Amino acid sequence: MSEGSGRVTSIRSRLLRFLIGSLLLMVSGAALVTYWVALESANNAYDRSLLEPAFDIADNIQIDAAGVHLELEEKALEALVYDQVDRVIFQVRSPEGTIIGGVSDLPPPPDFSSQNIFVNTDYRGQKFRIAVLRASNGYLVQVGETLNKRNRLLREILVAELVPTLLIAMAAIALAWFGVARALIPLGHLRSELLSRGPRDLRQLKDSAAPVEIVPVINAFNGLLDQLHDANTRQQRFLANAAHQLRTPLAGLQTHLELLLRRELSTEVRNELQQMHGATVRASRLANQLLALAKAESAAEEWHNLEIVDLMTVADAAARSWAPKALAQQIDLGFVLKRAVIPGDPLLLPELLDNLIDNALRYTPRGGVVTVSTGCVGDVPYLSVDDSGPGIPPAERRRVRERFYRIAGTSGDGSGLGLAIVQEVVDRHDGDLDISTSIELGGACVQATFRRIHANAGRISGLAGESGSHP
Amino acid sequence: MRILVVEDDALLATGLTSALTRAGHAIEHASTGKHADLLLIEQKFDLVVLDVGLPDIDGFEVLRRMRQRRSSTSVLVLTARDAVEDRVHGLDIGADDYLTKPFSVTEFEARVRALLRRAAAPVARWSIAGLTIDLAAKRVRIGEQQVYLTPREWGLLELFLAHPGHVLSKDQIAESLYSFDEQLSANAIEVHVSRLRGKIEAAGVYIRTVRGFGYLWDGGDE
Repeated sequence: MSEGSGRVTSIRSRLLRFLIGSLLLMVSGAALVTYWVALESANNAYDRSLLEPAFDIADNIQIDAAGVHLELEEKALEALVYDQVDRVIFQVRSPEGTIIGGVSDLPPPPDFSSQNIFVNTDYRGQKFRIAVLRASNGYLVQVGETLNKRNRLLREILVAELVPTLLIAMAAIALAWFGVARALIPLGHLRSELLSRGPRDLRQLKDSAAPVEIVPVINAFNGLLDQLHDANTRQQRFLANAAHQLRTPLAGLQTHLELLLRRELSTEVRNELQQMHGATVRASRLANQLLALAKAESAAEEWHNLEIVDLMTVADAAARSWAPKALAQQIDLGFVLKRAVIPGDPLLLPELLDNLIDNALRYTPRGGVVTVSTGCVGDVPYLSVDDSGPGIPPAERRRVRERFYRIAGTSGDGSGLGLAIVQEVVDRHDGDLDISTSIELGGACVQATFRRIHANAGRISGLAGESGSHP
Repeated sequence: MRILVVEDDALLATGLTSALTRAGHAIEHASTGKHADLLLIEQKFDLVVLDVGLPDIDGFEVLRRMRQRRSSTSVLVLTARDAVEDRVHGLDIGADDYLTKPFSVTEFEARVRALLRRAAAPVARWSIAGLTIDLAAKRVRIGEQQVYLTPREWGLLELFLAHPGHVLSKDQIAESLYSFDEQLSANAIEVHVSRLRGKIEAAGVYIRTVRGFGYLWDGGDE
């Protein structure tokens, strides 16, 4: 899962974006409808109350000898229409268009057929709502008021309407936020399960605790793991077979070369044969190491097969096979062995020690010293090999664990796989590999530390019985 | 001595045959398990050099059938497979020694010599480098010079002769010499070994020390 490139998509933000969008749409839609309905009914009520003074004024129209006039005085009429909040105006117009009372500059209403209508108009720069009443005698009475009351009501409706709706919407979003987080917890578990795995742990993911939505993903991922596992297995089997197959012809080659070298030969031929012999031995060693590497890698998937192994027993076997070679090289190969019992792989640990001793013998000059130690420091079991050779410079101590890496300028015919195998085997045991300078011998000190046996590992048998104790 | 070499790889087979022939042995060669099985039924050999990976029936099966027939012929198993697994299995079903391919001719010859020597027991008289050993009479000579050994030194000498080329740990030595009387301490073994070493070194036979572990009998080129 690479996060660096491309667009990062988050289920949570996608869900929230969708939720917020649709909530806003719904909230504003609902607000509009409520607003419109509330406004309509409020307007109707205000309109009716505006019509009342219009009827009053219409009742006051007097037609007598003095002509047409209003019965009440203008002041009284103004009092009649007075309002605390809004400015109220009125106008009375004869059927002919003569203005009989009220403000003179209010324009005539549009033509209408019913008895009364309500119109919005501008009057002296202000918006007015005008009720127009046609009296039975044909006179038009217009009563208008500014919109303050109505606007205030509008605001009140909006506030009363929007605030709770918005609160509900926000609550919904917050719930969705935490709900998504809760729903994604299984994904988090899956993530930490995957993160905790090493590169070679290709066990199937368990789908028992996963929600149905994730199960297909897990199944698909397991399918991929299966393919990967198969590919790995095939590769390891190939490597192991190749190494096996190489061993026999190499043995034949080596045997013949050694027999040839026993004959009377010219220096020239002898030198060439010796080079061929050296190359054959190197090729054999490489085949062995490739096999060891393949074995260590395949063991990664079978780590339940750890047994109780005493590192002292491993060193015991190594002593028997390496002592003759060390003596032949005039190197003093010694052992300081104490019990060190670990949960280990009995096939891989010899590979580890073989490669450490092989390296030490390879880089330690004649007359040098190599010491193999096992034991426990505190309760940490260790296995280490010290030598009196040139040592490994601090700057190289990390890189020498890489496959096929060789320190520049070193002689010797190492393949560069020895410490890579050691590192691999140590990793398989969840141990640590430390390369330092040997305090006693001055050369390299390579030490592997391991986990100790847990107290509850009682099911592994054979611990108490075998103890081949060395002084 | 008659030796059967069971190896399907032609190059290795000719190499081994030629090494053994030069050492003065009579060699019979089989390149399949079935052929080897037949030869082993019909003829008597002093030693079988047996490859595990054979085209028809594998070396372990040949070995199993041999032991079923109660044949006590020594068997040196050659294996290209994983050393530890094969060793355990091979020794379980009755191999006497094993070598992991590839190996040096010198090592192969040493193992063969050791197995033949064991097979040829009881040998009354051995000559190693300048040392002459008369096992029956329990006498050791360097040239014409008689060497006197204590019973413990004799025990040690016999132990080393039985395991030429093999490293013996102090534990192993203590265990083997246990029957004499009480268990020997590591220090006591050191004393006995160093005395024996001093007595036979003049003959060109050395007992090498593997520091902190044990000893290795080094009879020179024998």
